This record gives sequence, structure tokens and C-alpha cells, in this order.
Amino acid sequence: MILLQSHSRFLLQTLLNRVQNLEKAIELDHHWVEFDDVRFHVQVSVKNQHILQLSLSLPTPPLETVFIGGLPFGAIEAIKAAYGVIVQILDPPRDGFNLTLKLNLSKLPQNEEHKHTLLVKIASVREVVLGAPLRVILKHLASRTVAPDINQFVALVHRPNESFFLVPQAEKVTVVFPMRFKDSIDIVLATSFLQEFMESRRTTGLSNAPPCLWSHSPPLELKGATDDALSANAGFVTFVIFPRHVEGKKLDRTVWNLSTFHAYVNYHVKCSEGFIHSRMRRRVESMIQALNCAKPDQEKTKKTPHTRSFKRLSVKDGRTNSSS
Amino acid sequence: MANPLKLYLTCIRNTLEAAMCLQNFPCQEVERHNKPEVELKTSPELLLNPVLICRNEAEKCLIETSINSLRISLKVKQADELENILAKKFLRFLSMRAEAFQVLRRKPVQGYDISFLITNYHCEEMQKQKLIDFIVQFMEDIDKEISELKMSVSTRGRLVASEFLKQFL
Repeated sequence: MILLQSHSRFLLQTLLNRVQNLEKAIELDHHWVEFDDVRFHVQVSVKNQHILQLSLSLPTPPLETVFIGGLPFGAIEAIKAAYGVIVQILDPPRDGFNLTLKLNLSKLPQNEEHKHTLLVKIASVREVVLGAPLRVILKHLASRTVAPDINQFVALVHRPNESFFLVPQAEKVTVVFPMRFKDSIDIVLATSFLQEFMESRRTTGLSNAPPCLWSHSPPLELKGATDDALSANAGFVTFVIFPRHVEGKKLDRTVWNLSTFHAYVNYHVKCSEGFIHSRMRRRVESMIQALNCAKPDQEKTKKTPHTRSFKRLSVKDGRTNSSS
Repeated sequence: MANPLKLYLTCIRNTLEAAMCLQNFPCQEVERHNKPEVELKTSPELLLNPVLICRNEAEKCLIETSINSLRISLKVKQADELENILAKKFLRFLSMRAEAFQVLRRKPVQGYDISFLITNYHCEEMQKQKLIDFIVQFMEDIDKEISELKMSVSTRGRLVASEFLKQFL
């Protein structure tokens, strides 16, 4: 799997299981964490079998990002638009979580295909909530306007205590990601990956993709940001998104890909390291085998209780040459 | 660029053939001890002149011999940051498994990336020619492995980048 998928597989599995076995009365209470510190909680009680409570906890926003009511701006509208009457937002959310939704499973559409699509959309609640501000800005880009009361410079959270930056304009939106990694090996691998982004855009067929740049120092668009925001040990990646990248069905995909860009690069850096390790292990094994060839063949002496203290002569022994 | 590499390896092979004449020598200072003299360097009459073979400023090989042991230290080429960390990772991986290799030293000599310690016991157990073949093959393998790892990283990077950008089309 090269690309990260927008729905949470475990959540989708849980929902599908629940919907298929609606008659059986069971008790569910699952807690789990997904990448970049997004936590989920699902609860079904025996009393109300068709009600499923889903709670979501988002990564801690850094200082420059603002959460309104514990959620990114535009999140509540996005939830209502995506899920409609099936989902009810509970206020206040469950303790320790940013959002709690009450799903009424009996109100799901009867048509199997629609039901499945809606369940996949519910499993993509992370994309809907975290990507809501980005969606608002990019939707305005599709109509070549700028959203009202938006600063010249917007910071959105994508990892715990880290954010990425947007400069929305009428004809284009510039997105800047400061890339930070904890491990020094990660930094070197990520730097070589990010430089490939610049190179591969030059290949034919990808000239319609958003122009992307990698630079070691903060780009000019980030002139107003704090010093904390400007420290990135693997450089800065800049994408320029044009209206053609967000028209129609492409909007959802673009929102997801940009929200999880850092997670995507991180995932592939880790895969690369795992691959390097298994290669090294294989090479070590082949080297040890080569070394063992240097040892001359030793005569095997088996000390079993049945071995006699003298060697029994056989016809084969009579035919060996004088050197053995 | 195979020729300079071949000359370098041939030179090392010839030096090793001359240097690998090891015999058992119990320690002179301490009774009933048998130590590799090249590690201690206490008695100058037991040591031969060390030979340094340089391919260029970045790659060199130091061969130190004594009466019962031989130490080979290698410095591997590291052109850029990525090759640097790959070489360090790979050679540390090998050094950790020094027991399995028997002739490998757990820590490289100061100033070098990896070291071998061959004693007379190794020469008694293994054939001398094959041991020399192994060392020369090892050097070729390291170079090959590091360049293959570097290529796999850049291939993966290109694939990751093009898959990501294709999503926007």
C-alpha cells in the first residue's frame, strides 16, 4: 500500500460488523490510537443496540493554530454536511476527546451501496474533521475567491504540536510544510526523498501536478511566522495548488493528501529503513556462508552409543585413493 | 571505474599473501598466556612494518602484521550524507555480529571504518588462500551493497513522489 487511505480500517470493520449483526445484543467499548496521535473510542451499550457512540481526539495544536470549541474551524459544518441526519453531535464531548458523535444505525439508507459508502465516509471522520479548514479554503479556491475573515497566513495542525502553513489567494493557494524528524537517519533519508519530489515533477505526464519546491531555509511566504515554526531539520516543502487541482471530485483527495503529507513521508522513510535492515541481514548471511567455505571439510565423528570403537571396512573403503 | 578498483584489490591481495605467515607464539611477558601481538604492540621485535595502501584520500587500507596475528583496517568511500549514514549503519551492523564472522574485530581501529583481526588459530582452521579471497570479496561486497542501498532509496523516493503527485492530476 503506497498511499495512505482516508478511512480508518479498524473503524470501518467495527461499523460493518455492527451493522451486519444488528439483531445480536453485544457490548462494545474500544479505545485505539492511529498515526499522528489521533485517538478513537467506540461504544455500544446493551440497552440501545442501534446507537453507536464514536469519540475522536485530535493532536494537540501548537500555539499558532487556533481551535474553536476544541475543533478546527469549519469542522461542525463539515460533519453536518457529510453525515446528515444519521449523526448527532454530543455537547460536551466525552472526557479527554475533542468530539463525540452519536450514530443512529437504524437510520442508515436501505440501499446496500449507499449504506457502504456512508459507512466508509463515517470511518473517514478524521479526514472530515481535521481537514475541515483546508477544505473551506480549497473550496473557495475552486470558485477563485478567498474565504472571508481569513488571515493572510493560516496555520493548521497535522501532528502533535506541529502545524503546516497556507497562504490563500484568489488564483492559488501556497502550502508550506516544515519537515521535522527526531532521528538523524530519518532526516537524511527524508531529505533525499523530498528532493526527489522536485525532480519527479519534471518528468512528462506530471506537469499538471502542483509545482513543488524543497528548500533548506524557510521560504519567503513564511516571513511572519514565529521562530519555533521556522525550525525544520529536513527543510521546507512548498506546494502551489491551483483551481484545477480542487475541482469536483478532486477536492476530497487533495484535502486528504495535503493533510497527511508529513505522515506519508514518515511512513515511507520507516519502510525504507525496514527494507535496508532486511537487506543487510541477507548480505550478512551470505558473507558468513562465504567464510564457512574457507574452512576445509571436517570429518564427522558421531559419538552415538551404537558406534563401535573400530571402523568396519566396506567395499567402498577398498576403492578410495591413497590420499584419504 | 573498474580498473583502479582492481589494482587496489590486487595490491591488497598481494600484501596479504606476503603478510599472512602466522605462527603460534606464546606471550613473552606472561606465562601460559597467548595473545595477539599486533593488538598489544609491546615487543618491537615481534612486529613488522605496517603497510598503508591508499586508493584516494577517502579510501585506504592499513595492514599491520606481527608474528602471530594480522590486523586489517579499512576506510570505506563515503561521498555524500546518505552514503555516510548507510555505510555507518551497515558496518555497525557487521561489527555487532563479529562473533559470527570470527575474523572481524568488534570495534574498528581509530580513524577507520572496519577492522579484521586474523590470528594463527584462524590460519590453522581455515585455508589461507580462501581467507584472503574472503577479505577481498568482503571489500567488493561492501562497496556493492552501499551503492545498491543508495539506489534503492532513490528509486523508492522517486516512486513515492510520483504516486503522490499523480493524485493531484
